[in-house]
Amino acid sequence: MTDTTVSHATGSAATRPDKPLPARLADAFVSRLVIIVPYVWLLVFFLVPFVIVFKISLSTTAIAMPPYTPVFDFTGGWQAIKDSFGELSWDNYTWLTEDPLYYTAYISSLVIAAISTVLTLLVGYPIAYGMSRAPATLRPVLLMLVILPFWTSFLIRVYAWIGILKPEGLLNQLLLALHVIDQPLVILNTHTAIFIGIVYSYLPFMVLPLYSALEKMDYSLIEAAEDLGCTPISAFWKITFPLSLPGVLAGSLLVFIPAVGEFVIPDLLGGSQTLMIGKTLWNEFFANRDWPVSSAVAVILLLLLVVPIILYQQAQARAQEA
Amino acid sequence: MKSLGSIRRSFAPWADPASKPYISFENVTKKFGDFTAVNDLSLIIYEREFFALLGASGCGKSTLLRMLAGFDNPTAGRILLDGQDLRGIPPYRRPANMMFQSYALFPHMTVENNIAFGLKQEGMPKADIDKRVGEMLELVKLESFAKRKPHQLSGGQRQRVALARSVAKRPKVLLLDEPLGALDKKLREETQFELMDLQQELGMTFIIVTHDQEEAMTMADRIAIMDKGKIMQVATPPEVYEAPASRFVADFVGTVNLFEGKVTARENGVASIDSAGVALRADNAEAAAQGSTVWFAVRPEKIKVTSKRPEGTAVNAAEGEIWDIAYLGDMTLYHVRLDDGRVIRTSLVNAERASQDPLTWNDRAWISFAPDAGVVLTQ
Repeated sequence: MTDTTVSHATGSAATRPDKPLPARLADAFVSRLVIIVPYVWLLVFFLVPFVIVFKISLSTTAIAMPPYTPVFDFTGGWQAIKDSFGELSWDNYTWLTEDPLYYTAYISSLVIAAISTVLTLLVGYPIAYGMSRAPATLRPVLLMLVILPFWTSFLIRVYAWIGILKPEGLLNQLLLALHVIDQPLVILNTHTAIFIGIVYSYLPFMVLPLYSALEKMDYSLIEAAEDLGCTPISAFWKITFPLSLPGVLAGSLLVFIPAVGEFVIPDLLGGSQTLMIGKTLWNEFFANRDWPVSSAVAVILLLLLVVPIILYQQAQARAQEA
Repeated sequence: MKSLGSIRRSFAPWADPASKPYISFENVTKKFGDFTAVNDLSLIIYEREFFALLGASGCGKSTLLRMLAGFDNPTAGRILLDGQDLRGIPPYRRPANMMFQSYALFPHMTVENNIAFGLKQEGMPKADIDKRVGEMLELVKLESFAKRKPHQLSGGQRQRVALARSVAKRPKVLLLDEPLGALDKKLREETQFELMDLQQELGMTFIIVTHDQEEAMTMADRIAIMDKGKIMQVATPPEVYEAPASRFVADFVGTVNLFEGKVTARENGVASIDSAGVALRADNAEAAAQGSTVWFAVRPEKIKVTSKRPEGTAVNAAEGEIWDIAYLGDMTLYHVRLDDGRVIRTSLVNAERASQDPLTWNDRAWISFAPDAGVVLTQ
């Protein structure tokens, strides 16, 4: 008697009164299994490493193997682990706020990433627009061409830019030969070189979401706008651009997020005086062997990027609803 | 509404040689690569006319409309609107607005912003825009949907927003590209009458593209029937139906029985035709030369079906058997298979309840029709 009242109260049980509770639980487990797999993946390959990095960021450097302390001693029993927890401290985070090196590096990274994102958008939008208006038979080829650079190592492609941009490089030789300039331009080891490197490397990440947003747009909307009195240019700003905004946002975040933490491009093209957080992190980790501080730098970087990542996911969710 | 009807009946500028053409297509050709969509076509449309371009898909009717809107340019020939050559005038400077088949509503704008879009382009003062948008919403009965986005509307509501948006600027010419194609039958019929009233009310020239002959017949003052980029006939709906210019038109608009035969004699416009052993007599056969092959086209409702040979008629009658019967409620269709194998389609209005000859499947039956029931076609 009691049993029936309970199952009626839960509602879902009332609709399937024929199945006993264990069987229902088994059903629920099987149907959830599919979702569990990606969660386990994220747990093992994202959350666990993050917890380890976070733990190291609360430790102190030591000349040891591994180069920090405390190290959890699981053989020492519960008491030893508790003692280890007592040794953790927020000192590394305090240190990040005290040394101007770190926060200037963070700010400079954000600024460089933001400028690069805008530049990538300016270069990528016309490309994506052109692709989306190309004959349907040509589009797969154009898409292929956008993805083609991925077939070569990223590192090699960035290296190649040194050969192009250095004072006696291809670009300067060409400009000198054309008598456009009489002195070689200093591009390598400047911010300009970093911008060129980021725009070049991340262009596909901008072009692809923009292309997919523009390609699915109904061209009769443009005709309707022109029919109602818009010049082609104002039809672009009133119809095409607003409708491509989800693509603009997705592309911008796909460029901005990795560009903030970019290491290879500023290291190879930006020279020694460029301050970016990816380089700072690398220096702390490999040159100073200060794992705790570099871990703290990494944790803060992640927290900085959580905001744009959430924005990106919201934009994706909205794009799927529409 | 009565008065509008009488205006409509007396409206026939095409019959008056003094009328000024409003829109003229002069020897217009449009090619897409090797494909000729519109082939050396000339057409005159008058002001305030409700004109329908009727044809199967791919006949060039939409291309004609798009050339008038300015989305496509003629390969050869020219288009005049109110005496002005439209060549080189971009769509945004033409006094014509289009209602798109897909409606092409701007998905990121509300209903009222969609309707206001063209007015804002004109630079109309905001107060006037609000007033006009209000009028348009009232016209299409969507006042309570002003703040909705297109994806929150039903198909019929979207269609009305598209209509309101295209007439908001009070264009001289409204182009409608299959405007009712996406609506269900009931809604389509209702909207047809709404469109007719609207056209009278606004006094605009409407050009509608459709593949639905009933739609064209219902709404249009005149219909142009198109095939393969050419115009087969331009006429009023009754003329198109009663006096088709060719077998193509007769067959495209409604159902028709074609009796092919040789003209054996012709006297005072009355032709005697021998159609595979069936003697026919046709009035109004001036075009039929003696000895030539002609087609006598008779509509199903003009053929009588009787169980006995009709009295006093030596011609325009043939015997066969009832091959098929379809009861449609308002009428009954009989397919009569003549003894020579030809199947003749006839229809009978069910004016009285169960009053017909009790003809049924495989009964012997006679078909007969009057000499003026059909039209003699030479092509």
